[in-house]
Amino acid sequence: MTATAVARERLVPIGFSARRRQRLVVALLVGPAVLVVAGALLVPAANLFVQSFMESGGYGQVTYHFTLSNYTDALRDPVYRTVAWHSFGLGALSALICVVAGYPAAYYITFKLRRGRTLALFLVVVSLFTSYLVRLYAWDTILGSHGVINTALIHLGIVKEPLLFLLFSRTAVLIAWVNVFLPYSILMLTSSMQNIRPDLLENARDLGTGPLRTFTRVVLPLSMPGAVAAFTYTFILTSGDYITPALLGGTSSTSLANIVSDEFVALGNRPAGAAISFVMLTIFFLVYLVLTRLEKLRGI
Amino acid sequence: MFVFLFAPIAIVVLFSFNKTASLTFPFHGWSLRWYRAVFSSPLYRDAIVASLRVALITVLVVVVVGTLAGIGVTRHDFRGRGLVRFFMLFPAALPGLFLGIALLSFFVQTKVSLSLWTVTVGHLVYVVPYFFLVVVSRLQRFDYLLEEAARDLGAGPFATFRRVTLPLIAPSLIAGALVVFSLSWDEVFITFFTIGAQNTLPLVIYSTVKQSVDPSVNAISTLLLAGSLVFVLSVRRLVADLQQ
Repeated sequence: MTATAVARERLVPIGFSARRRQRLVVALLVGPAVLVVAGALLVPAANLFVQSFMESGGYGQVTYHFTLSNYTDALRDPVYRTVAWHSFGLGALSALICVVAGYPAAYYITFKLRRGRTLALFLVVVSLFTSYLVRLYAWDTILGSHGVINTALIHLGIVKEPLLFLLFSRTAVLIAWVNVFLPYSILMLTSSMQNIRPDLLENARDLGTGPLRTFTRVVLPLSMPGAVAAFTYTFILTSGDYITPALLGGTSSTSLANIVSDEFVALGNRPAGAAISFVMLTIFFLVYLVLTRLEKLRGI
Repeated sequence: MFVFLFAPIAIVVLFSFNKTASLTFPFHGWSLRWYRAVFSSPLYRDAIVASLRVALITVLVVVVVGTLAGIGVTRHDFRGRGLVRFFMLFPAALPGLFLGIALLSFFVQTKVSLSLWTVTVGHLVYVVPYFFLVVVSRLQRFDYLLEEAARDLGAGPFATFRRVTLPLIAPSLIAGALVVFSLSWDEVFITFFTIGAQNTLPLVIYSTVKQSVDPSVNAISTLLLAGSLVFVLSVRRLVADLQQ
């Protein structure tokens, strides 16, 4: 690569016009993609940000009059605050479960499996690509009042009435989330463990370190970046999820994301929804910042 | 662990062949009636066509745009290259909810009426990071001497690209395109906000599941799964071919 660069430089001396041409080429290559992301994300996000400081003028209308009340409402409203605690708490819990459950799986795949390793990873990827919605629906058929578990229990005469707490509860949401996001955790943890040289583990064993201690002193610290990435990713996507709580959560676990989507679709108060979503993004960013900082500090 | 990951899906597939509508375990026999129900329903048919249209247009655009950007970022050293890289990956760090509401309020603001085209715009920005990653990781492993040799033999930049670069990176582009297709095919979060009167397949499933228990959802879900499975399998074949 460097040899090529040197060769190229010697053959074609870069003059002013050549540099200019180079700039044009770069613009033509990168331009369209930048345009897509700018047009379909950056501009709309900026627009949303501006709207979050405007007043709502009835359903679907925005009055262009500066106000901070959307943010003060979002932060002060006790209902929002309880819902926020619940949804961030549930998101964090599911992210934690995914990372903790992902560790043994990733460890096994990386260090114990030899021939079956590609197959195991392939299966993880397959489960990743099976439709999100179908898996939610699957849990609906398993946990629902006419679902597999309840009909089986009634059939066997263990219970008379279907157990309703199975579906439409936080537990159902949690189970579905772990089911959906566990593969991501496994993949992220596996890829960070692949950087650990197996002879490090052998050395530790030769020096008389037990398996548990090897794990906590060698594997855990070296795979921490993967764990942080997996946690943050799962936390953001679960706390920002409005489909799962709507399908499986029932009324018991309205999430912050549901409130945002309701403000937009059902209530037509876009400024309020925008303000809540920016508060959410800020929290995501803070969580990410704190976790990466902690991870770096630990390394010193 | 694999039981936990796959059992729910297995149950859906199993019940899609059930003769009766109930979800009880002693099976009363096999039948294809739910599949017939799916294919004879115009609702599902329209939704399948709509989903295919959105996914195909998304793939076409992202392959062109993403490949160009990938080449630009790996081949040329320019100011702001790091920024462009960050920019291309940024959409993946945001929840679909945010992309959806940002686009929705933007479309309402600019008085663009919601349709499958607005859905396609949303899908496009959502899939850019994934395709970009695939292309960049392939181009970073690219042997530039091959291009240099083509140039030395008198091929112009376009001939070099068409005859040397493109054939070599084609498997990765196809793999990336398949990943993008299955992402778009399953997408609900952004679609929910940017959809007009026509529905995509995941949205039809969403509203059906939300309202009632309809066993034909089992059949349509199985079809959806089969679709993504075919894509994952072909990506695997491509990757295996690449490694040889």
